[in-house]
Amino acid sequence: MNHKQGAIHFVANNNLKFEDGPKPLFVRPSSAAPVQKKNEEQKQPSREEVRALLDVPEIKDRCADLLSRYPEPQGALLEVLWLVQGVLGWVPTEGIRWAAEVCSCAPAHALGVATFYTMYNHAPKGKFLLQFCRNISCAIKGAQPLIKYIENKLGIKSGETTPDGLFTILQVECLGSCGNGPMMLVNDDFATDVVDGQLKMKRGTTLTEESIDRIVEWCKAHANNVPKRDVLGGIVKGHMGHPNAPGATAKPQVADYAPPSPVLNVKAEADETGASLTWKGAPEFTKLVVEKKNGSNWEVVGEPSVKDKCFVDATGKVGDTYRMIATSGERVAKPSLEAVATQKPVPEEKAV
Amino acid sequence: MAECVKVCTENFGKGAQDIEVYKKLGGYENISERLFNMSQFEVIDYVQRSNLRGRGGAGFPTGMKWSFVPRNSGKPVYIVVNADEGEGGTFKDHYLMMEDPHRLIEGLIIAGWALGSRSAYIYVRGEFLPCIETLNKALNQAYAAGYLGENICGTKFSFDIFVHRGAGAYICGEETALINSLEGQKGQPRLKPPFPAVSGAWKSPTCVNNVETIMALPWIFKHEPEEYAKLGTPRAGGTKVFCISGDVKNPGVYEAPLGTPMMTMINDYAGGVVGGNLKAVLPGGSSCAPLTAEECAVATMDYECLASMKTMFGSGAMIVINDTHNMAELLNVLGNFYSHESCGQCTPCREGTGLIHRILNQIVEGKGHDGDVEFMQSLSNGFGGVTICPLSVSLGGPVSSYTTKFRSDFDELIAKNPDRAKPRVQETSRPGIFW
Repeated sequence: MNHKQGAIHFVANNNLKFEDGPKPLFVRPSSAAPVQKKNEEQKQPSREEVRALLDVPEIKDRCADLLSRYPEPQGALLEVLWLVQGVLGWVPTEGIRWAAEVCSCAPAHALGVATFYTMYNHAPKGKFLLQFCRNISCAIKGAQPLIKYIENKLGIKSGETTPDGLFTILQVECLGSCGNGPMMLVNDDFATDVVDGQLKMKRGTTLTEESIDRIVEWCKAHANNVPKRDVLGGIVKGHMGHPNAPGATAKPQVADYAPPSPVLNVKAEADETGASLTWKGAPEFTKLVVEKKNGSNWEVVGEPSVKDKCFVDATGKVGDTYRMIATSGERVAKPSLEAVATQKPVPEEKAV
Repeated sequence: MAECVKVCTENFGKGAQDIEVYKKLGGYENISERLFNMSQFEVIDYVQRSNLRGRGGAGFPTGMKWSFVPRNSGKPVYIVVNADEGEGGTFKDHYLMMEDPHRLIEGLIIAGWALGSRSAYIYVRGEFLPCIETLNKALNQAYAAGYLGENICGTKFSFDIFVHRGAGAYICGEETALINSLEGQKGQPRLKPPFPAVSGAWKSPTCVNNVETIMALPWIFKHEPEEYAKLGTPRAGGTKVFCISGDVKNPGVYEAPLGTPMMTMINDYAGGVVGGNLKAVLPGGSSCAPLTAEECAVATMDYECLASMKTMFGSGAMIVINDTHNMAELLNVLGNFYSHESCGQCTPCREGTGLIHRILNQIVEGKGHDGDVEFMQSLSNGFGGVTICPLSVSLGGPVSSYTTKFRSDFDELIAKNPDRAKPRVQETSRPGIFW
């Protein structure tokens, strides 16, 4: 793998840590709803521990598949970070460094990306991450009382984890299910209730205190076998990857895969000065030919420039039939639809 | 309520996630000789004639957007589907992808043919893992059936679709931020120009379209484009998938022609207002100006009418609010949201949204002061045109319209503070800011 050697070396000598910096001058009032804690004091696993879990054939295959999708390896960074989170449950510093190595980018860049997006956890979370929407549609339907209810029920505040490590509560922004608001995400499942032993979000149902009770009970019952899902939603087989990706087998798009464009929307209008033609042209035209019908034959009457907007045939009169043929590079397009010249409307005289 | 032609929600509830069912319902019929005999220019002209406008929020004509993509630039062209649906009140893409993933794939193949694209990316927000699973399942079926991959259906055209999982940033719904995120960077918007149609992802021409825009294409190609244009208003063709949420009896996703009166949407489709009388409606998601009950009575749901009422059509996400709610409290929710989601590039947005949020927080807690509303208005007036993307305006617009239209709600909360006339105590050690 091609690393940017200088960058790796530079960061390798700087021990990246998520430590609290100097106390900020400006502290937001505590009334602001808590967001995910990023700088929580956390024991970081060692390089060896992380690599033992990540440098396995299965993960390496997934990474190779991801890297083949983007013209530059850095494009896969978000997805590789997801893989790290899928294996470890969170993204420790060493996991970020591993992702940076896979994607051939500077670890500092990967750290910036991992901390920008809110869904990467920078500390271990409970087995069940309960994310409550607090955005406007859910707020209208009473999300805050429900969030208070679950906080009291579990005895923790938003952003905290229960001592038994089972639940973490988070308040998040719109979860894209406003029709069911208020609603929640249990790990990756949208849920408003438990139906037949499954978390479900059925149309027309909303979260209530009773359904929260049922969901919490369901979670407790599944504490030892948490449903595990693929963080990237499964593998797609059969794609050829991106043609510019490192080691790609895919070929770039053939330039002339589609037939050349004909001239569209040809209109002919005639008066005593001749017939004038207008048309709509594609940018790839290199040559245009105007033909007029003479009996059963077509006669070339002119070759307008591709930049022209109008062509005048001085001998044309009402009832003549025209068509246009375009050439794109070396390929000749099919002729345009036939256009019969109509009487040109006499422009209204302007009032003086 | 007249029965309306269904374009995007045609296959809802019919199990169209499976390719066999989808094909039985008429799916993938467009991927045939008819499309393969059309040139790129003809396809784009077809879309232009249908009068289809982008369904993501800005409402830019799709055919015109495609015609800006330079051909023969020597670089690959990318199509990116924006499924980073995070605007408060919008949830149509979630349902569209869950119910009919193959329609999105079919639409993408048409778009790929029109633009000469080799690779398309569907950027799905991180929270929608069930959607990603559905899409991946559908992609596997489409690859197996030969609709994707090298030399589709025996032509020289090759096309691949990749799903990209985002990781939770509302701002990635902005097209340049989305492109940055696709490139594996922080999702911060880029300065325009250059526009993505000329220089987008990996400096190649890139077309970013909403899920619903792409999903309208199969219907347009199956019928005549003029037929689609006829469904809507003269300046915007077709039907729209509306998401109605808030204080209505049956919130949900409804497809209706553009230009449907707003009260028809609320009363006939969503079953009417519950819990009180109608107070306000946000017609296009959380970042648009609210309409009062009197304005709602005359409003129709289309781009022009709502623009003339100084709000916007946006993504067609109607949020209905009844009179038991205080608008200041709802604006506080929005202040919290936008200050949290500001990417931090531009100072007016980073500092301004946070400052407005803190003022609103104090007003809601009963610690508001006289002059707070005027101060917020002056702040929001300073947002326009000084930031890279319109996120700050998305809060600034609501601040000025909520405070103008529902001033009494704010005064009512400020009146709870007995010391409201006293000057504010400086609450920070940062010099220069009195907050």
